[in-house]
Amino acid sequence: MKTIRININGEWKKLKVNPQDRLIDTLRGQLGLTGTKEGCGEGECGACTINLNGKAVLACLILSVQTDESRILTIEGLQKGLELHPLQTAFLNESAVQCGFCTPGMIMAAHAFIRENPEPDMQMVKECLANNLCRCTGYEKPVKAVLAAACSMRETNHD
Amino acid sequence: MTEAYTSVGKSFQRIDGVDKVTGSAKFATDLSFANMLHARLLRSPHAHAVVRHIDTSDAEKLNGVKAFATIFEVPKVIQYWFFLRNEKKKQQMFLCDNIVRFIGDPILAIAATDQEILENALALVKVEYEPLKAIHDPLDALKETGVTIHKQGNIAFKVKKEFGNINAGFETADVIVENTYHTSKQKHASIEPIGTCVADFQSNGRLTLYSSTQLPHWSQHYLAEIHGLSLNAVRVIKPYTGGAFGGRCGLIHGLEAMCSVLSRKTLRPVKMSFSRTEDFSATESRHPMTIRMKTGATKEGILVANEVDILSDTGAYGTHYIGVIADCLSTGVGLYKIPHYSFQGTVVYTNKSMSGALRGYGNPQMNFAQESQMDIIAQKINLDPMEFRLKNYRPAGEMDPVLNGMILSNGLEECLKKGAASSGWKEKRVRPPGHGPLKKGIGLSIMLHGTGAARALPDPGSATIMIHSDGTACLMTAAADEGQGSRTVLAQVASQILGIDFKDIRVSDTDTDITPLDCGTHGSRQAYCGGLAVRDAAVQAREKILVHAGNILKTKSNQLRIESGIIFDAFNLDNKISMKDLMQKIQIQDMGICAQIIGSASGIAPAMPGYYGAVFAEVEVNIRTGEVKVLRLTSAYDVGKAINPELVRGQIVGGGVMGIGFALTEGLLLDKGHIVNPGFSDYRLLRACDVPPVIPIIVESNEPTGPFGAKGIGEGAMVNVASAVANAIYHAVGVRLTDLCMTSEKILGELQKH
Ligand code: FES
Ligand code: FES
Repeated sequence: MKTIRININGEWKKLKVNPQDRLIDTLRGQLGLTGTKEGCGEGECGACTINLNGKAVLACLILSVQTDESRILTIEGLQKGLELHPLQTAFLNESAVQCGFCTPGMIMAAHAFIRENPEPDMQMVKECLANNLCRCTGYEKPVKAVLAAACSMRETNHD
Repeated sequence: MTEAYTSVGKSFQRIDGVDKVTGSAKFATDLSFANMLHARLLRSPHAHAVVRHIDTSDAEKLNGVKAFATIFEVPKVIQYWFFLRNEKKKQQMFLCDNIVRFIGDPILAIAATDQEILENALALVKVEYEPLKAIHDPLDALKETGVTIHKQGNIAFKVKKEFGNINAGFETADVIVENTYHTSKQKHASIEPIGTCVADFQSNGRLTLYSSTQLPHWSQHYLAEIHGLSLNAVRVIKPYTGGAFGGRCGLIHGLEAMCSVLSRKTLRPVKMSFSRTEDFSATESRHPMTIRMKTGATKEGILVANEVDILSDTGAYGTHYIGVIADCLSTGVGLYKIPHYSFQGTVVYTNKSMSGALRGYGNPQMNFAQESQMDIIAQKINLDPMEFRLKNYRPAGEMDPVLNGMILSNGLEECLKKGAASSGWKEKRVRPPGHGPLKKGIGLSIMLHGTGAARALPDPGSATIMIHSDGTACLMTAAADEGQGSRTVLAQVASQILGIDFKDIRVSDTDTDITPLDCGTHGSRQAYCGGLAVRDAAVQAREKILVHAGNILKTKSNQLRIESGIIFDAFNLDNKISMKDLMQKIQIQDMGICAQIIGSASGIAPAMPGYYGAVFAEVEVNIRTGEVKVLRLTSAYDVGKAINPELVRGQIVGGGVMGIGFALTEGLLLDKGHIVNPGFSDYRLLRACDVPPVIPIIVESNEPTGPFGAKGIGEGAMVNVASAVANAIYHAVGVRLTDLCMTSEKILGELQKH
């Protein structure tokens, strides 16, 4: 067992983890943050995408011990009270959600992406979402949602 | 004519959207209970073997190991719910023996306190096998090889049907085309892996199962049979589901049965979750088929005869094998007016992972063959493929000889015309394919798919609606929303009839203790079958409301109307009461009444209406590499009436992309029964950067038996994509691919033959 300190969705926490624990298991198990999904456990589907120090990473490929002293943002950290994040609103408005299993990963991938690319075009968004598999939507609507969110975030200076 | 609807036909946001974008939606994999154990399966390394002995003595000694369940004691489901109809058939639903029939077939399950102990325990189990010869090629299953996969033989099912006189039919043909087609073992590849449940067998002798199933009520029936329990002792709760596409159409092989036995032995909740590898290698897939088809037409372009012979590979066990081959028959015969049609189907067992239900059932396979044939014939008699279809399709007013019913709605002509206009069909058909290595082409295909299964299976639909004392409502339905949006659509139907705002209608979770018997989700049935039940339940509730309102407003209830939550007299608009005030009054304030408003309905849909579609695929083929790029898909579908157009478009676009995968990239590859691509790195799904624009076109033919005219869409949207792509490839480069999926190697191979 090792003790790590992480900032999870804005709150610093001390956790005891095994050296071999994957971050996804710590999030979903110990912390009860089940919004982050496991679709493959092999780094192929993107359902487990979270933000680690502002970058989109796959929680199934990272060990919890590697995140000591890091800031982690998961889907649960986006909403402020009952107010949705512009990305969440855009996914709803654009009908970009069907079964919803890929949705948290897509939103978190887009979240880190928009921070670095506040004015993306369609091709850039497609490349960003290329790491996230979706079996339901055919991708068109999620791509539109990310474009719409980027636009509304620029207008409202949202992060 | 259609009146102005307030809810039906509106693209309301899906009712579960907020749960899903915030991460608060709980899927089966997210569930956890106090005192819960974890379980995993030990799977066979052999394609075919007798399990002589299982030695768990070392594993038992591990601290934390709590229970074992083996195939010697836990039955497998080997038929679908069609077999629940009588006692004798019910016996044939289950199989319990000591044989493993594919690599990955479960042998035993262990329950332990954590995953690490489980892993160690699994490594300590010793199994003594007697390997048997295996059958990998479905053709070998037809021969005398001395290998018997199931007691009754290697042929699971045979069907032969003839309409008209096939030989006489071919005599009248001027052109006859004969080809053999092969289709791949496609996987559902829902992003939530198939195979998670929590079984909770309590000390009171009752079992609660949480499982992301498409068939909550039939799962309840199967489990009651397996455990010898009454139905009221088994409760199935369906949490959010991460896509299904047919992959959860019944109990999952080795999942719920094993898990619930472990829970019964320990009286603790037990959770089992398959990994992605287990999903790919040991759950059901699409039936691979070999389809020989001989088709004849006159030189005027009239189809006269079609002879079909299908060999379908159901793998190690059959579940949906009868329904799937029956679907090839009904969709093939139903689509065209062909006077002489002969259909023969043989389903065989092989020592591979099972085949089952997958979006489209047997239709994508059948459609690939038949729509390729149509394209070839049209070209031979020099007729535009669209004109050829328009001459021969079976329109409304005709009898469907398989379903034995009159076609009441068919918007295929409109689908073809709108699709042609939007895709630029006419111009692109005559455009030269282009200089250089990149050749462009456009192809089309059409399809028919049945809505529900009213004529083929027990297919009940049901719903209950109760109105709260503040005028809001709760709809209880086992519609099993897997992501398609049925809960949203059904709430719209209720809202429309009750005059209650859409946002004021809550839809319950699917829970067999609460929701009445419903066939669940399969066969694109929920908008139609579920919609009918909800419509009828809402009408009943509405009538009850109006009786009370009539008493209070002192007027005849039949002249009352409800709009936006206000009940008013159509002849005296000032005589009105809000739904809220009415409900307050009759439920709480007036103690002499204290009435509950509950509407409930159930039944079998009056028909199994076909829904239709036309897909236009535009492709670019690189003749140096064989690589195909779909440039654009135009998909026009007749859905009767789109209750929620945006959700319908979602089905069309998503189905279109899944169809491109079936056409070009998807298929499990096997080497002596071993699946060599059991992960997303080698089983290639399309990604965001790979997909072309898919243009959805909704056609509304208004099905008279449907709720507000609606029929299905979910499965159909992928059915005729592969055939359209194949026809487009032919148009671009003049080679005919008959083998799915159409990889660049295969295309290059065909090009080099030229
Ligand atoms: S679960 Fe991490 S990439 Fe699939
Ligand atoms: S919405 Fe189902 S996988 Fe994306």
